[in-house]
Amino acid sequence: MTQPVTEAKETKASPEPVIRISGLRKSFDGRLVLDDVHLEVGRGRIVSVIGQSGGGKSTLMRCVNLLERPDRGMVEVAGEVVHDDGHMVCRDLPRLRRTVGMVFQRFHLFPHLTAVENVVLAQRRAGVPEQEALERAVALLRRVGVAHRGLAQPEQLSGGEQQRVAIARALALKPEVLLFDEPTSSLDPEATREVLSVMRELAADGMTMMLVTHELPFAREVSDHVVFVDGGRIVEEGHPDDVLGSPAQPRTREFLASYGSTS
Amino acid sequence: MSDLFMVPWSDYQSELIDALGRTLLYTVVSFAGAVVLGLGVALLRLNRAWPARAIATVYTEVFKNVPLLAIIFLTYFGLASAGIRLDVFTAGALSLIVFYAAYLSETFRSAISGVHAGQTEAGEALGLGRAGIFGHIVVPQALRLALPGTNTFLVDLLKSTSLLVTISAAELMSEGRLITSATFRALEVYIVISAIYFALCYPLSQLLLWLERKVRAGDPLSPWRRRRMQAARALLAQDTSPGDTSPADVGLREAAA
Ligand SMILES: Nc1ncnc2c1ncn2[C@@H]1O[C@H](COP(=O)(O)OP(=O)(O)OP(=O)(O)O)[C@@H](O)[C@H]1O
Ligand SMILES: [Mg+2]
Repeated sequence: MTQPVTEAKETKASPEPVIRISGLRKSFDGRLVLDDVHLEVGRGRIVSVIGQSGGGKSTLMRCVNLLERPDRGMVEVAGEVVHDDGHMVCRDLPRLRRTVGMVFQRFHLFPHLTAVENVVLAQRRAGVPEQEALERAVALLRRVGVAHRGLAQPEQLSGGEQQRVAIARALALKPEVLLFDEPTSSLDPEATREVLSVMRELAADGMTMMLVTHELPFAREVSDHVVFVDGGRIVEEGHPDDVLGSPAQPRTREFLASYGSTS
Repeated sequence: MSDLFMVPWSDYQSELIDALGRTLLYTVVSFAGAVVLGLGVALLRLNRAWPARAIATVYTEVFKNVPLLAIIFLTYFGLASAGIRLDVFTAGALSLIVFYAAYLSETFRSAISGVHAGQTEAGEALGLGRAGIFGHIVVPQALRLALPGTNTFLVDLLKSTSLLVTISAAELMSEGRLITSATFRALEVYIVISAIYFALCYPLSQLLLWLERKVRAGDPLSPWRRRRMQAARALLAQDTSPGDTSPADVGLREAAA
């Protein structure tokens, strides 16, 4: 890992890692998608992953909560090794998934349930009593600003509202870290602003986050660390101002240049 | 008109009521059986192991491509000649079950696979186990998708019980045949029998359509869900001072600390 040199955030004592990935390798049908990836997300830190489509960003993120099983390497979450050298070490997969909240690009709210019930379901399955689960769901909906739509079905909600409900749902089990996989990529600019402002508040509250995004200005604003992934490898990483402002690698510069012209 | 209606219907009232009850009994038992068997076959067809899929496919194709009447004759007369004597009710219900299970399995299979893969994934990411995902995410959504087709088959099954006249199953159609042979008034009798079928099927299909609309609109049908929605409504209506939405209230601080 190349240690960045500037800024107070990076130089203060690094907190214990909530996510630690080392030597990660993953292939699909013999095609290598991730190779020798090392990554750490310290408690309270925000790490953004950027890169071209197909570069392996989602796969990397999905290896954290083991929606994908790595072929090689180690995945450690909250101080516990969950996958090692191609073997599932995690004994309690549901518990791992409750430690790690995930927000998807396409929301994936449960369409047969109201917004409130979407936030209640997993809590009840995890043994939270009914009234407590409901209270927490309502409080979370308030927090993301969609309490007034609490009894609506997902299909009656705008994209921005759906994604905010999805964030409330991911927070319901008090995860130690949140994973966001392109949370604003299916949203219009207005809805994107809504969702980013919720994420900004989470950041201000000290939530640990790993974020795949194409919102580079936002990534630069909130992240403590930016990782540029290309062709299944980490090409460059460091402080957002360095990686996004003055990248060292030609591949990163190329990506950022192509990005500036398209968005 | 007075020429047309000359059967002494009041004499047949209790027999007709018995026959009506029998038709309904065939319908309820066969439909319940067909739903259970159909679901089993659908799950086999979605199984990862190919022999399971093969068995289910053969079953479905066989019973979809053989007439119901032939199945009724096979189970009642055919099996009897091979030494397996089923009583009329068992043979009749069994025929309806195996026949409709084939169709229902197709409806169920496409409904289950019609639930978006992202739904299962969202459930996994929330730490739900296989049973939780199937019971709370896949089944309710598949039910919504399967309901229209399933309802059509229910009404169809009710009408098909009339084919059991061929094994004298004592349901409505058989009763009609008995009354005809006693009175020789075929037109009148079968008009009345048809009217009874209509009086059963029309309200039933309307009721099922209403149910479909309710489910589609996401209205809570079960008492516990209604109770949950009420509690949620009460909580959502509570006035909140700005302090109420502090992160501590929703556990963010604990999580981040
Ligand atoms: N389940 C899968 N089976 C086979 N190949 C897959 C699977 N998931 C991902 N891939 C492949 O792995 C590569 C990396 O995919 P991934 O989704 O991680 O990229 P990404 O960086 O997230 O791209 P995007 O920006 O488009 O979301 C792609 O080539 C993709 O086709
Ligand atoms: Mg992706």
